[in-house]
Amino acid sequence: MLRTGFQVAVILGHHGALPGLTHLLPRFNPASAFGSSTETLVSRFCREMTESKNYALPNASWGPDMLSLYHEFLEKTKTEGWVRLPSFGSNRDHIQGFKLPLESSANSDKSDWRLFTRCIEREGQGYEYVIFFQPSEKKSICLFQPGPYLEGVPGFAHGGSLAALIDETFSKTAYLSGEGLLTVNFNIRFKNLIPLGSLAVLNVSVEKIEDQKVYLSCVTQSRDQQTVYAKASGTFLQMQLEEDSSQH
Amino acid sequence: MLRSCTAGLRSLWALRGGREGVPRLSTDLQPAPVSPGSRAAKMDRKRLFSAEKVIHTDCALPNPSWSKDLKLLFDQFMKKCEDGSWERLPSYRHRSTQISEDFKTYFLEQKPVKEGRLSQVRLFTRGFEDGLGFEYVIFKNNDEKRTVCLFQGGPYLQGIPGFLHGGAIATIIDTALGLCATVPGEAVMTANLNINFKRPVPLCSVVVINSQLDKLEGRKLFVSCNVQSVDEKTLYSEATGLFIKLDPEKKSF
Repeated sequence: MLRTGFQVAVILGHHGALPGLTHLLPRFNPASAFGSSTETLVSRFCREMTESKNYALPNASWGPDMLSLYHEFLEKTKTEGWVRLPSFGSNRDHIQGFKLPLESSANSDKSDWRLFTRCIEREGQGYEYVIFFQPSEKKSICLFQPGPYLEGVPGFAHGGSLAALIDETFSKTAYLSGEGLLTVNFNIRFKNLIPLGSLAVLNVSVEKIEDQKVYLSCVTQSRDQQTVYAKASGTFLQMQLEEDSSQH
Repeated sequence: MLRSCTAGLRSLWALRGGREGVPRLSTDLQPAPVSPGSRAAKMDRKRLFSAEKVIHTDCALPNPSWSKDLKLLFDQFMKKCEDGSWERLPSYRHRSTQISEDFKTYFLEQKPVKEGRLSQVRLFTRGFEDGLGFEYVIFKNNDEKRTVCLFQGGPYLQGIPGFLHGGAIATIIDTALGLCATVPGEAVMTANLNINFKRPVPLCSVVVINSQLDKLEGRKLFVSCNVQSVDEKTLYSEATGLFIKLDPEKKSF
């Protein structure tokens, strides 16, 4: 395939001097990371914030499938050690007192910013989802009901909306399982379309943690598991949060 | 059942090739390049909420939320359109119900539920108020089989605080690759996407996504792209994708 000079320059640049992510960050110290056990991470993550709205709770738009599966898992939080993860309008709410070792260069008013999968406020119109996490197995289940604003092919959820929710579920699972923070690789194979308003179940597992990376996989299917919607895998870079002395 | 092959093909192609809604029939006039400050551009930008206007509003045009970088690049590419080697792809926020009916024949077992509640559907990438979500325009070079997508990700696309969500990047990559894979008269669907993230994209910045068609094998279209900063000095991500041409005969893919 003929490439223009412009593209050749990009490829050379990539193999040459452009620093990757890992060169920018403070060296990750696995010894101190494993000092942050899953239990510590979960309790830090799940601190209930009274000011921020928790979206991972049922509302009038949830269909009967979503509600019944939600209640099944709620029972499991009492008996089998599952944890229902709270979900806020911004990831910042999950890390009160800490900050990322990355400089933010955007200039917009920060109160405007919203987590992508929580940006559509109207109940039932965009993402309706809740994530349950099983600390001992490093597994998550995400119950997903896509609304009409997520449309791609008419009547069905946009592939990108599913990809974003899988990435989001990966991100929370990777963080709680091993302080995985930034997506390094994401791979998705679409099999079938999800009808808008129906329930899709995302099953996420941590495959392994090595070389400063958390490796995860996901199967998205219908509740009865008869229809597989997509399979995905992702790799997340482990990063430690820094303590933030300047509280907001 | 499709009434006629061509009618079906046109509507289906609209889903991908216009990708974003209104069918681009060969008899349609290509919209003349519009300069950002012109009256035509201002009229196009009017966002009235009557259903008719919503269907025909072309979102792939400058609006007040576009940064200077984005407008500059837009103008550069509009210049390239003047000799016909490049074309700006229009982009709409709603799909007509006619297209919806035709496409349903492909998915007979998967009926969308609760149709009454679908009256407010929006194309995912065009459902936001100006500047808050995806601001983008795609230019296509048909001879070289490649596209350039100018993308500004707004504050509602956040992942890690201050940066674009990986899923938002995946969504715009899917859109750019899909339009690259589309050939007039045919519809395609995403089968696989593989994205390598090199650096996080700061929220509200402008990136350029260069996509190309690498290989065509029967109904399989192999595409790839890179996501860079405006000055081309930063490579944010690279991706490859596999798209499948829908087969009108078999009603499957």
